[in-house]
Amino acid sequence: MAEINRSWVLVQRPVGEDFAAALKLQELPVPEPAEGQVLAKTLYLSLDPANRGWMAGPTYIPAVPVGGPMWGGVMGRVVKSRSDKFKEGDIVGGFGSWSDYCALPADQANKIPETGLPLTAAQAVFGGAGATAYVGTIDIGQVKAGQTFVVSGAAGSVGSLAGQIAKILGATVIGIAGSADKCRWLTDDLGFDFAIDYRNENVRKRLAQIAPNGVDVYFENVGGAVGNTVLANLSKGARVALCGLVSQYNADDNPVDGLNLLTVLVRSCTVQGFILLDYMHRMGEISAKLGQWLGEGKLKYHADVVDGLENTLTAFKTLFAQGASHKGKLMVRVDPSAN
Amino acid sequence: MTGNRGWVLESYPVGDDFDAALKLRDVPVPEPGPNQLLVRSLYLSLDPANRGWMMMPTYIPQVPLGATMWGFVLGRVETSNIEGFRPGDLVSGFGAWADYCLIDAQMANRVPDLGGLPLYAAQSLFGLSGGTAYVGVLDVAKAKAGETFLISGAAGSVGTLAGQIAKIQGCTVIGTAGSPEKCRWLVDELGFDHAIDYRTEDVAARLGDLAPEGVDIYFDNVGGPLTNSIATKMALHGRIVLCGSMAKFDNPGPELDLGPILLNRVTVTGFILIDHFHRLDAANAELARWVKEGKLKHTADIVDGLENTTAAFRKLFTPGAPHMGKLLVRVDPAAN
Repeated sequence: MAEINRSWVLVQRPVGEDFAAALKLQELPVPEPAEGQVLAKTLYLSLDPANRGWMAGPTYIPAVPVGGPMWGGVMGRVVKSRSDKFKEGDIVGGFGSWSDYCALPADQANKIPETGLPLTAAQAVFGGAGATAYVGTIDIGQVKAGQTFVVSGAAGSVGSLAGQIAKILGATVIGIAGSADKCRWLTDDLGFDFAIDYRNENVRKRLAQIAPNGVDVYFENVGGAVGNTVLANLSKGARVALCGLVSQYNADDNPVDGLNLLTVLVRSCTVQGFILLDYMHRMGEISAKLGQWLGEGKLKYHADVVDGLENTLTAFKTLFAQGASHKGKLMVRVDPSAN
Repeated sequence: MTGNRGWVLESYPVGDDFDAALKLRDVPVPEPGPNQLLVRSLYLSLDPANRGWMMMPTYIPQVPLGATMWGFVLGRVETSNIEGFRPGDLVSGFGAWADYCLIDAQMANRVPDLGGLPLYAAQSLFGLSGGTAYVGVLDVAKAKAGETFLISGAAGSVGTLAGQIAKIQGCTVIGTAGSPEKCRWLVDELGFDHAIDYRTEDVAARLGDLAPEGVDIYFDNVGGPLTNSIATKMALHGRIVLCGSMAKFDNPGPELDLGPILLNRVTVTGFILIDHFHRLDAANAELARWVKEGKLKHTADIVDGLENTTAAFRKLFTPGAPHMGKLLVRVDPAAN
């Protein structure tokens, strides 16, 4: 095997968006898989806003240790297996690190089935983003036909899928995104009913025009001023699926606005935080449904692929840059030969 | 029938200066229309929500200037234009802060058999406070045995009942209140497991000791900064039930930080009793049974005289005020 293992090591906790000071690309030994683990050659890294939280401190998982490789979702090819579950050559997805090689615990890894779709589809739809969109829209948001559904971060990996799932269920779908280009993509390519460019339009006024009776389900990915504007326009009995607060992750010391409890009270709303980790037992069922919609052409995905492990940080920054040109699922192709 | 006095909303209140906003005026005895009752007020129910109604449109429109202030009233029917109600019947419903008021048919509830309890129990136990506590604990929070149940405004009308109902369900019950006297009363008289004086104690630190596994249910009667510190102490998959937000009236900031809500996958739900009126009969029956069995106590703080309404009302918003349980104004001195 190629014996060089490059790895992004967390050398200090990030300050603001200075990821370059926090993470250094270093050469580490190729890890030796323990019993019950597999060694995978990384094909793709999944870059997600939640990674920022993991670097900063304990969340729903412990903080990434300083001095160790940065954790992340990966897809890789098994090159050595010490588990009955996988054999050499299998393509697996799991919780690994930003490295050329990862040792993955077999019980937390999934075999990527042969679907005829490119591997980028597996990463974009089946790698967590699709299931997060599904759970948030269906289980938490409980969206129904005829309701008005709003998703922020609508051009992102989860938002773009959530809006389409709500559309499949018969809702009127409004996406909020950070550029005219993204908004066009949402309505013209993904079939959203409306899109609002929060950087160039007045979100409050636009919502008043296109959702005069209020927002029935809000899929919250961003928080901050955009989130507050939608939360102030909830309808009676509205539900909020709280998935992410990406605008806040880098706001170390800035006090942020939040949820006006009086609105939630007088309109009898429900706001529910959720994390995909609690739904892992349903991944099979959810993946089957997502696969069906993909096959029927009802669900489209966009893989935003950046080549080269060395370009990870530059790519990661685009997740937090308002109006960056990034759309859909952001991933790094680590192995140039991956399809 | 004698004259009628009513508290007229002449300007919207600034802060808690209700004396400037509301004036006791001689007003005509109102004429009941179709499907209305003319009621002689016996007791007024004073509730924090009344303040919200003056300030802004809520789940009902804002009280218009020039109107006699709206409120829940327990009274005796003088004239009935509703089938099934007769003069002399005792009713409770959505009326006004006046000697005589009108109650619409859909807002009029017959006072249930009080089983020997004093008349004011219709408001201190049954009706709004008991209904809100019952629905909030059982239907919205779905409190279960073994859970840690935290309630703010614990010494208030809803708080006292909700904490005891959670205790009956088998929860560990913690109340927050604004004085050592109230805290002692909650634990010694009402059987709460713990009480925290939010004015002199660090609530988050105390919760760390009292509920090291986190709070499963927070029944929020106050809102404001307290909710933010409690949000960080919620257990995984905890529930926050929003029943009141009176801190909002005096303190516009800060809003609820959603970070801890996301991290701990907490569900925040607001509810208003009027969406649950169909549950009132069941609530009243069970509340009465619990009182009879000695499991539930109700407390009324009764102020005499319609003219003392605004002074009494201000107590609801004065931290540490010596008020416990349900705040009522006895309008008719003859009422028991």
